[in-house]
Amino acid sequence: MEELKLEIKDLVKIFNSKKILDIPSYRFEGKKVYSLYGPNGAGKTTLLNILAFLIEPTSGGVLFTGAEFRNSVEDKRNLIKEITLVQQNPYLFNTTVEKNISYGLRIRGMAKEGMRKRVGEALSMVGLAGFEKRKAKELSGGEVQRVAIARGLALKPKVLLLDEPTANIDEASKGILEKVIAEVNKKYETTVIFSTHNLSLAYRVSHEVIPLFEGRIVASPVENIMQGKIIKFNEVSVFDTGRVKLDVVAESPEATRISINPEEILVSREKISSSARNSFKGRVIQISEEDRFVNLVVDIGEKLKVKVTKKSFNEMALTVGSEIYLTFKSSTIQIF
Amino acid sequence: MNYIQEGFITAIKLIISFDRDVYEVVFLSLKVSIIATILSSLVGIPLGFLIATKEFKGKKITITVFNTLMALPTVVVGLFVYSLISRKGPLGVLGLLFTPKAIIIGEFILATPIIIALSISAIQGMDPRVRTTAMTLGANTLQVALVIVSEARFAIFAALIAGYGRVIAELGSALMLGGNIKGYTRTMATAIGLETSKGEFGFALALGFILLIVAFSINISLQYIQQKRK
Repeated sequence: MEELKLEIKDLVKIFNSKKILDIPSYRFEGKKVYSLYGPNGAGKTTLLNILAFLIEPTSGGVLFTGAEFRNSVEDKRNLIKEITLVQQNPYLFNTTVEKNISYGLRIRGMAKEGMRKRVGEALSMVGLAGFEKRKAKELSGGEVQRVAIARGLALKPKVLLLDEPTANIDEASKGILEKVIAEVNKKYETTVIFSTHNLSLAYRVSHEVIPLFEGRIVASPVENIMQGKIIKFNEVSVFDTGRVKLDVVAESPEATRISINPEEILVSREKISSSARNSFKGRVIQISEEDRFVNLVVDIGEKLKVKVTKKSFNEMALTVGSEIYLTFKSSTIQIF
Repeated sequence: MNYIQEGFITAIKLIISFDRDVYEVVFLSLKVSIIATILSSLVGIPLGFLIATKEFKGKKITITVFNTLMALPTVVVGLFVYSLISRKGPLGVLGLLFTPKAIIIGEFILATPIIIALSISAIQGMDPRVRTTAMTLGANTLQVALVIVSEARFAIFAALIAGYGRVIAELGSALMLGGNIKGYTRTMATAIGLETSKGEFGFALALGFILLIVAFSINISLQYIQQKRK
């Protein structure tokens, strides 16, 4: 088994009669870094748990380099050993850091000397060299996360699955984990699939970003999600969130949710006349920097996230409280 | 009051002189209760694990039954086992009555429900992530079970101590099933009963002291384990 490729085929997971995952097809090539990006409830954890054999899909499945695992129990057992998941909010066994990390190696029958070497190597990678004899219970949140990842790294799996590896941990640990993801991929040629709700992290670290929304892979990351209903269904329909009314292009009058890509929203100081059907006056309520971009949160009745370049931001001299106009085409609004 | 004082002095003399009769009784008590506890845990821990982790019809009732059986009266257990192993009983041919084995059977019946019930609550109290963590690291079903028991080890050990504490000082069934035969089936509790009724306070008190030490050390170790858990 040189390179492990994972191919999703007609994967559906239904829970409490609700479809929480529905992916007709997706192919994870070996030796790459993938990120699953989406809001809470998008199905990221469910997908990772299915890939890690923790839960069974309702229908469809995952093919591994062409052979479906469910055909043979032995195949499945071998595959489980090649795919390791580090869960969100991971659990460390109530013992030393060393015994935690060596657990997977021990049940694979590795000799003591080899285990010690692997444990040391994994701990160095996550920046915790010398932590072998520490008790798991005495570690901080960030350290727990890093030890849990080291426990996965020590197994040198073909596929490493990480569920929200950077959620709820300190900034220093976040930086280290970001490097670890890149390093493990380069050094061991491990395929890494991680979930996150941090889009800039997803783009920074991974070769491919897979935007997930409501259990489906969507064309682009879903942001600015708004609940509401279509109050006028026509060539150009009207979607009412209760606070603002937007012109949308809807295929069915049943839609209850829309989203707008922050990069598709035009920002101006004055109202501009254009073919775009949606234009709202709003007030900047939050400003944050991200690489070469600036993220604004603008209140137009609904709070919208808008992305502008630093150059535009500086030229427009925007501050919190600035009154601006947001303009976007009805066709850029995604409807669910 | 004088006889109490005399009793204490005799007790200390008997203990420090390593009196053969005293130590024989202590040794037998420890032997039967340790064997009974080991047998109970061999049955109780796996059974407790299965009940705690498997979903089946009547699970709640089963747990309630074992919780209730923790309060089994020792005399009733003695009576029940007696009726089975006495010469006229269905297991009479085995000749178990008035042997240490008979005491072990009685103590096994007393300790097992305690170990089962406390193991169930120990396993049920485990973090569900223990199971999934072991699975994601490649553990098979047996290895997952061992990890869960290992993580619950402090609570399970407390279950063993509680089972042991129940049988070490037990009088009712040991008397009925062992028959209190000197040098053969006489335990600390049965000897104390007999010596007291004979007026041999010194001997009875010496055994009483040792029984106290054994019982207290069980309690102390239990507290130590629970503190360590925190």
